[in-house]
Amino acid sequence: MDGQQLDERQLIARVCAGDEGAGRTLYDAHVDRVYWLAYRMSGRHELAQDFTQDTFIRAFSKLQDYRGEAAFGSWLHTIAMSVILNGLRKSKRFEQREAVLDEAAMVPSLTRHAEPDLKERLAQAIDALPEGCRTVFLLHDVEGYTHEEIGGALEITAGTSKAQLSRARAKLRESLADFAGEWVHD
Amino acid sequence: MTDTPQWNEEPMDARLRDLAKEYNRPRGAVPRDAMWQAIAPSLRAASTADVTDLVPRIERKRRHIAPYAWSAALAAGLVFGITLEREVLAPRSAARVAQAPVITRTPRVAVDPRDTMSSHPTPGATSGATMGASTSVSPAASLVAPSTRIASSSSRSAERSSTMAGSRGDSAPSTATTADAQQLYRLAARQTLVQAEALLTAYRADDASQRDQESMQQAGRWARDVLTSTRLLLDSPAAKDPQFRALFTDLELVLAQIVQLSGAPLQAGERELIERAMRDRDLLPRLRSAIPAGATAE
Repeated sequence: MDGQQLDERQLIARVCAGDEGAGRTLYDAHVDRVYWLAYRMSGRHELAQDFTQDTFIRAFSKLQDYRGEAAFGSWLHTIAMSVILNGLRKSKRFEQREAVLDEAAMVPSLTRHAEPDLKERLAQAIDALPEGCRTVFLLHDVEGYTHEEIGGALEITAGTSKAQLSRARAKLRESLADFAGEWVHD
Repeated sequence: MTDTPQWNEEPMDARLRDLAKEYNRPRGAVPRDAMWQAIAPSLRAASTADVTDLVPRIERKRRHIAPYAWSAALAAGLVFGITLEREVLAPRSAARVAQAPVITRTPRVAVDPRDTMSSHPTPGATSGATMGASTSVSPAASLVAPSTRIASSSSRSAERSSTMAGSRGDSAPSTATTADAQQLYRLAARQTLVQAEALLTAYRADDASQRDQESMQQAGRWARDVLTSTRLLLDSPAAKDPQFRALFTDLELVLAQIVQLSGAPLQAGERELIERAMRDRDLLPRLRSAIPAGATAE
């Protein structure tokens, strides 16, 4: 772990010195997680791609400011979360304004089946969560971040993150109450 | 939260977690190389220069989009205008308000400099005048002729006098600067509207069936430039006019939609949304009516 961090610091130093190969190595080491997170949050490949690119472009341009106080991955994910959430807010605002124009075009995935199964209902319920709850739920329960990491990335306390998660789970249980029987028997 | 107690939360949460892993699960490989193509130039630029907005600059350079260079100058002008308004004009007008009593009272006092020397020689007396406090203290000490002030050997009075002279002299240029700034905003707003009209007209005129990905990306890049200017204008005094503000807001929306096309595979639905947004908001007619006759894009 320490060796890995040391390597990463050396890589960062080389990137700062203008070594593009080192930049690519650093990128390769982290891009998947950033992209998956972006895709998980946005559900669209083109948005995920945009967010990932923006994250790395921003990270590389600020690399001189990286002091190594946190792991590079955490620092990068803080940038990624900021880029993703800002991007989603913009795109959500845009979609809300356009929803009246073409509702069917906006929510194609929700109308694929006449009777949505549990997965689809869950997807709808997650989409309907308030932004903070949804973000924390996805980061913690789906992506496996700790509350401390989430707190760092979202600039909230770990306690707030826990509270948001608890609220998210409660809302999901409530939304999926008619599937409760299945859980009782599991 | 507590109104669904009929089932156990633990297994349900565990099941939810499992199922949620399928939510927006990425399929296929991460397009590492494609994304790196866009990132690498910024890395190169970052190592040679301290830049804050790398992407647009590099993209413009790489794609040789000389006609869009205007927008950089426009954006710079806007940024300069906004900074000027916020940093220079706003504090100055506040300072002018604070100094106003001193300036307005001075004409009432017509004192012979020699009298001033004899009757108000103390710095304390002039201090009260400068602060614009009680008129029982004559502000004349700060108005005495320079030669007299030298004779009185009061350096504080001299400083104050020059401050007063400076503040009186400032009022005319600052009014001119305000007018210049307003003129700059008007010009920038007009330029942006002209460009927006050109862009939207070109976009609509382009035969939908012949739109390929490249042309859509080009429109997206152009729209990105105009969008930057539009957003700057939305934050500037130019947007204080409600009519302009509504126009800029609608324009921002449509441009943001066109920008989305730049990296996305072509989708008829998205294009239809853009065209409907333009149609429903009467965007082109409103743009045309807002642009003064004779204004051109370049």
